[in-house]
Amino acid sequence: MFSIVLTWLIVAWGALSCIYMLRCAWRRFPKCDVDDVIPFLYPVDISLAESLLDPAAEFEFRWKLQPPQFREAQRKRMRLYLELTRRMAHNATVLVAYADAEKTSQDPRRVSLASALQEKAVDVRLYAMLTRFKLRLWLLLRSEILISKPVLPHLRTACEIDGIQTYSALKIAAAAAFVQLPPEELASLTRNL
Amino acid sequence: MIFLTYIPLVLLSLLLWRLVRVRAYRTVPCFFAYAAFAVVADTLRFAVHNHSSSYYAAYWITEAGYDVLGILVMYEVLRNLFGTFTRAWWGRLVFPVILIAGVWMSLARTEAIPSRVVGVPFYIVIGEIAVRFVQVFIFAGLVTLVPVLGLRWRQYIFGIATGFGLYATIMLLTTIKFSDFGTRFRLSWGWTSLVAYSVAVLIWLWFFSVPQKVTVPNSELSAPSPGVLKHYKDALRRMR
Repeated sequence: MFSIVLTWLIVAWGALSCIYMLRCAWRRFPKCDVDDVIPFLYPVDISLAESLLDPAAEFEFRWKLQPPQFREAQRKRMRLYLELTRRMAHNATVLVAYADAEKTSQDPRRVSLASALQEKAVDVRLYAMLTRFKLRLWLLLRSEILISKPVLPHLRTACEIDGIQTYSALKIAAAAAFVQLPPEELASLTRNL
Repeated sequence: MIFLTYIPLVLLSLLLWRLVRVRAYRTVPCFFAYAAFAVVADTLRFAVHNHSSSYYAAYWITEAGYDVLGILVMYEVLRNLFGTFTRAWWGRLVFPVILIAGVWMSLARTEAIPSRVVGVPFYIVIGEIAVRFVQVFIFAGLVTLVPVLGLRWRQYIFGIATGFGLYATIMLLTTIKFSDFGTRFRLSWGWTSLVAYSVAVLIWLWFFSVPQKVTVPNSELSAPSPGVLKHYKDALRRMR
């Protein structure tokens, strides 16, 4: 009986996936050009992310604050990092869509740069997805009550992907992919990322 | 009427021709081998369809071949995907885990709905159902990753997974649902299988209708011009 129910669930998952692919095919390929990138990016403060993931800063907080105050401060820091990872994931999505369009170019250099950009963007998405899941779980379970103490510096890597390093690499890949832009637009791209 | 059952052979021949045209044997060699094998297998079945004992042997031998190649193609799909977006150690564990889950589901299903075949064909059927489960797992997993990771869906590996996934989903559905239909089961199963497989081949033809660009490694590209390099350096300086 259990195997039949499981089989039905797997079949339903497969059927939903077929419907999703049909929807993708129906919508065809949204063409995303450079004008659809810069205004859609959210700025990510990398130095803020670095300070949130700094073990010394966290140790200092633990040392200086009383446990209830530290818990409150830690929750605020977690919410802040959650917002940063949300922005990272969003920016990566925008850049993946742009790289998709760039891959249809005839110029092999542009195709190569778009592939590199897409690879970094997918890594950022994967890191952001796993980190946000962990953060939401910590926030939902009131952290210390049910699970071990949440330590923000542990979020630096997820699935062997270093979040800050990968996001910096994404910025470099984006700068390389957008190098043909006029200087003022390139400046706004680097500012918005 | 018998010729209608060989519609997939015509479609597979078109697919094989298309695969040669886009040089798919370089990017997806296992799938190319699968398509070539399918053309040869269906031709063999057609050639011996008037001789029942030869047809029986050809049918089950080619079914076993389909099982092995089906698994290899799924491995190729996963290897291409994980090679693209992550080199994490757990990437190597995904396929064995899916394979074990597929075999376990197949055995559990055989326990719940006993098969009517015995001997070697019994094991081939178990293998075939395990392959169907693996195909649905990988297809549904890939499709789930499209919105989650923002992956590009219009690429060969998604096309291959979609064709197999659709066919496997329908075949699993028929094996669990059509058993309620009694004597009409065999006829309905045959036609459903034929239509589903034809649709799967049409999906592959559609995906392979556009040549996929192979990414050129950076080292083979010419150096950027000094102006472009200056732009790039300025952008990097602003980032720091």
